[in-house]
Amino acid sequence: MPGKLAPSRPRRWPWAAMLLAVIAAAVMTVWIPAWTMRPFVPQSAAAMAWAYALLRAAPAATLVALAAAAALAWRLWGPTRWPGRLLLIVALVPAGAAAWMARQNLFERLFPPLVRTGFASPAAAAGFVDPGDMVLAIQVQGDAAAFPVRQIAFHHVVEEEVGGTPVAVTY
Amino acid sequence: MGGRRLTLHLAGINNQNFVMRDDETGSWWQQSTGEAFAGPLRGSRLRLVFADEVAFAIWRREHPAGRVLRPDASPAWRTWSADWEAKTGRMPVVAGVPGADGRGPLPPRALVLGLEQGGAARAYPIAALAGQGVVQDDLGGLPVVIFVGEDGRSLRAFESAFDGRRVPFFAKLDGSPAAAVAPAGGVAPAPAAAAASATVPGAPAAAAALMATAPPRLWVDGTSGSEWDFQGTAVAGPWRGRRLRPLPAMKDYWFDWRIYHPRTTVYAAGRDGGASR
Repeated sequence: MPGKLAPSRPRRWPWAAMLLAVIAAAVMTVWIPAWTMRPFVPQSAAAMAWAYALLRAAPAATLVALAAAAALAWRLWGPTRWPGRLLLIVALVPAGAAAWMARQNLFERLFPPLVRTGFASPAAAAGFVDPGDMVLAIQVQGDAAAFPVRQIAFHHVVEEEVGGTPVAVTY
Repeated sequence: MGGRRLTLHLAGINNQNFVMRDDETGSWWQQSTGEAFAGPLRGSRLRLVFADEVAFAIWRREHPAGRVLRPDASPAWRTWSADWEAKTGRMPVVAGVPGADGRGPLPPRALVLGLEQGGAARAYPIAALAGQGVVQDDLGGLPVVIFVGEDGRSLRAFESAFDGRRVPFFAKLDGSPAAAVAPAGGVAPAPAAAAASATVPGAPAAAAALMATAPPRLWVDGTSGSEWDFQGTAVAGPWRGRRLRPLPAMKDYWFDWRIYHPRTTVYAAGRDGGASR
């Protein structure tokens, strides 16, 4: 036991436990919403409420957790020898990953949004829309815009102004 | 929403219907309903902008001066969407949600046209509509007519009443006198699309070929005998110039429609009244 071998050292296990708890909390903050919203499984209203609360808190909470984990690791650094120090560094990786994940939108990584919308005349559109392809058609104040379903189905949401009305076209 | 412009992003999934998040308040919006179910704007609903889903050839004919969304420069969308309908149609359905067990009136991924009127909701199986030119129904106390475009996939719903009177509609059969006159007489020029496609054999889809060569489908009402186009405008006859009121309709998978319209009925072709569970 380290305590017996080195009686001069303070007890480290409470700090190590805290470090593990902080890292686990950071990981759970991002993992629970992702797990809740995996496709092809049912989502309950309560689970979605949890997912929402966690996702909202995640960016700040994971940063706090990362800072706390770093502080705890620093606290443990002095009395720990090199193999243990390596473990401390490795332990910070999931905390850092959680902080990074909390700033990512996985859904938009799968289906990148169309950041800048551009339009073509019906004649010029023949290069990317077939006559039998479906389009979502919107007409506001004489402004007729067609959103090919193949594109919208991929991006899922496209934002545009039609006839002065901001619309979110979604499929 | 409340005079503020919201920027919506794809942000999650809820029983296979997407969740959008707005940048401004961080609220979560359900794609199918436009309702915020979490966050500061919880309970609010985005106003539905009327839109319909029709074949590009039909839209182009109706809006020669319209604009078409240009695709993303990255080829990802093209690869992904090449066979997206078939791919998505084969995807599993969430177990445990209503309509997903396959014991309902329709398979979970049957495509339906969903209409909501006067508190009543009804799903019209698109497979059943495709073979018809027109479908008449009553929904929530409102006489409804669905025009089926010549491709069998483009669908539009209208209120089929004028001055409080129900008006019956019939699809004009292809090759009807009015349609046949132009080519036979050789007076009226054929539509540009028809001329173009005649020189390009092997059009990709049968539907596309049909639309390119066939004249636009027309409908006739049984009250005045006027002719109506696919936009619900009378183009000939005593009611020429009148317009039918378009009704919002949503193309959806049966299971998804069923989740957000738990009391929906299903249209059954040929049955009196058209409704069955």
